[in-house]
Amino acid sequence: MFNYNFQLALKSLKDRPSLTFLTILTIAIGLGFYTTVKTMSYQGGQVPLAHKSNNIFLVQMDNREITAEEVAHQSRLVDTTYKDTLNLMAMDLPGVKQTFNWSTYGILNVEDENINPLRTFAAVTSSDFFTMFEPPFIFGNGWDKSVETSGEGVIVISKLMNDQLFGGKNSVGENVRIGTHTLKIIGVLDTWHLTRKFYDRSFSTARPDNFFIPYTFAMENNLPRRAGFDCWAGNADISRSFRTENTERLINSECAWVTFWAEIPDDQVENYKQQLNNYIEGQKALGRFPREILTYVTNLNDQFTYINGRNDFMNVFSLMSTLFFAVCLLNAVGIILAKFMRRTKEVSLRRALGAKKKTIIAQHVIEVVIIGLLGGLLGIVVAYFGLQGMMNIQIYASDYTRRVEDLQPLYALDLAMVANAFLTGIFCTLITSIYPIWRLCNTPPASQLKSQ
Amino acid sequence: MDIKPIFLSLKQNKFLAILMVIQIAFTMGVLSSSVLVATDTLREWGMPSGIPHEDIVRISPEFFDETQDVGQALVKDIERVKNMPNVINVAPSNAVPFTAENMINVYLAAEEDAQEYKTVVFHSDENIFDVLQLSLIEGRMLTASDVIKGEASTTPENASKVMISEDMATALFADQAAVGQTIWLSKKSDPVQVVGIYSNFMVGERLNGRGKSYQSIIRPQVKWAQNQQPHYLIRVESGKGTAMMEDIIDVFYQERGRYIRNSELLKRTQKRMYDGRGSRALTMLVISVVLLIITGLGMTGLTAFQVTQKRKQIGTRRALGAKKSDIMRYFLTENSIITLLGLLIGILVTLMITFELSEQASQNFMNLSVLLLTGLVMWVVNILAVWFPAKRAANIEPAIVTRSA
Repeated sequence: MFNYNFQLALKSLKDRPSLTFLTILTIAIGLGFYTTVKTMSYQGGQVPLAHKSNNIFLVQMDNREITAEEVAHQSRLVDTTYKDTLNLMAMDLPGVKQTFNWSTYGILNVEDENINPLRTFAAVTSSDFFTMFEPPFIFGNGWDKSVETSGEGVIVISKLMNDQLFGGKNSVGENVRIGTHTLKIIGVLDTWHLTRKFYDRSFSTARPDNFFIPYTFAMENNLPRRAGFDCWAGNADISRSFRTENTERLINSECAWVTFWAEIPDDQVENYKQQLNNYIEGQKALGRFPREILTYVTNLNDQFTYINGRNDFMNVFSLMSTLFFAVCLLNAVGIILAKFMRRTKEVSLRRALGAKKKTIIAQHVIEVVIIGLLGGLLGIVVAYFGLQGMMNIQIYASDYTRRVEDLQPLYALDLAMVANAFLTGIFCTLITSIYPIWRLCNTPPASQLKSQ
Repeated sequence: MDIKPIFLSLKQNKFLAILMVIQIAFTMGVLSSSVLVATDTLREWGMPSGIPHEDIVRISPEFFDETQDVGQALVKDIERVKNMPNVINVAPSNAVPFTAENMINVYLAAEEDAQEYKTVVFHSDENIFDVLQLSLIEGRMLTASDVIKGEASTTPENASKVMISEDMATALFADQAAVGQTIWLSKKSDPVQVVGIYSNFMVGERLNGRGKSYQSIIRPQVKWAQNQQPHYLIRVESGKGTAMMEDIIDVFYQERGRYIRNSELLKRTQKRMYDGRGSRALTMLVISVVLLIITGLGMTGLTAFQVTQKRKQIGTRRALGAKKSDIMRYFLTENSIITLLGLLIGILVTLMITFELSEQASQNFMNLSVLLLTGLVMWVVNILAVWFPAKRAANIEPAIVTRSA
């Protein structure tokens, strides 16, 4: 019976192929655009370090003046002071790793005069950055703690820098200069895909960091600090100057500007929070932390949920693509209806000859499923080109400052999205076809026979 | 033509009629709001730059080696660049056209509550007029003797004469003569005298947004320091810019210990000025056009369906003496009524969307003629979409009546 229905469905698809094609095309375009946007929002919302994002925490403590305003949300609270950063790093908790960072920039250059210098953003951090955030290395690796006490100038550079300054060879052991400071390369990273640069709390999708240096070196050589400084009133007037000068004063100040991170095993989280509270209690005795104790220990998942929810452009775009798909489906119903209603005569004849409603429905459902299937397939092709197009628009709009290598993962169709598109295509086509099929199978038997 | 039967028939087929109206309304809403945003952006794209931006190269160097002498380098840079083949002229400048980086307020009086006028002050030497090809409108040109040059810390004096652009003169002095007047370049201080007016050139996006694209002031002074290094604007022979870029960069790298932050034709600076909004608006436009095509196809499908449904009625009408053109007109009128209804709702939707967009961008996107034109295009597309099935309907033979009971 299925075979027979299948044959009938095929035959009816071939009947007036232009209408069939039109239906498939309409569904494909709608679905294609819908999948394009859906993929963008899905890929753009992926949480980095998925295998341990639940255990990577941003640590914040409220060391502001008594007069400061209440904060409504974790994302509004200031970062950590340099003093507290060093104190927290000195805490030794079993199984817990800690790191911190701030942004800098610099002009990387080499002795060879034929190679032009490069200006780039970068991160100043500590040794556990590499074990916690797991950037992929091509050559060498990160530094260890001993470098931080000696203040030695070592540097990890990105693939991009290595390609441009050293022609892509293994540059570990070579010297490179940041402005006029000479540092030794100890590691080269591979292309590091982060959906958003979370570790400096910018959640930026552009401007990846192209080198990483130890904090002691950065402080001793007074490399620029690209940070916002949340200071107490005593330092508020000069807070901007901390970007490039007054290092000594900054170290001893109550200005918060360092982003602090901890990797904590599940069973240690409560203990860690307790330790933070104890630490604050201890500092209160020294006249610091004048406010009621407030700490936030927020894992990556929670931070990304919040950030993704605030992506207004993407939300509007998603709504638009859904409506667009809905219009395409409405169209498809119109065309399917037109096609089916041409067949009332045939159906009434079949009904008169004893075909059950069920059979009629089965035949047309098969037909619609085939349409949905083909629409889904073509829709995935449309989505592929849609995503490529969107990526190129993005590259154009950034005036070619963003590279395909960095953007590719944000516009990649993966198996989950393909499956999603496919099922959505079939499901929605079926739903919208309920009305045409219902109209058709309710044709009274033999009603149309008179006219022949 | 009697409209009543059309309404009766629409009433009978409510589901389809509503389907079509919703679709048209939605398409109209999306299409016209993106057309409105796009035309607004494109209108700005069409604004003249006032300078030969395809033949001006902009170079922005930055010394990272503090032992290098910026002033020395400046002299050498200009000498080297001037000696290059195909270079016509070069001028150092603290600002670059199209970027409007250092937007400031200027005043016409030294009082506390003096009115603010937004502008960008270009610090440059006498060559900038030749580089940018600015012409003298009134007063006199600034000359080499007006220019103050020196290291910032050892040169406290500032140039006391400036030239202003035509639009700046109109904004500041309206119909009065601008030459000879005094402007305060910061609140209650830094008064300068206007000696001449030059032709307009585009300053940048931040002023575009305020409708003040051409308000600028040129002050003849070149000062430098480690953290204050001028850009260079270089005019080259027409069409040679792209090919010379590498050579120009090499010339600047002859000074060591520096980095070239930016090296491009001003054409690209201009492109970047519009990018963000422009590409978003164009994306929306493409999507809307696709939507329009789909709606058109859908109309064709639905009308074809109705024609099939009404074969017998059409045959009867033809048999009773209706001409082919009557049948055509019936379908076209019916479709126009539906379209009109859809368009009316669509315009309401558009008003809502553009209101929201205008609020967000604090810029008025509404343009009635564009809106009406979009509506007209929608209507034409719908007529086209209905034309073919209607034609088929007109060709139904009157004899069809005789076949049925």
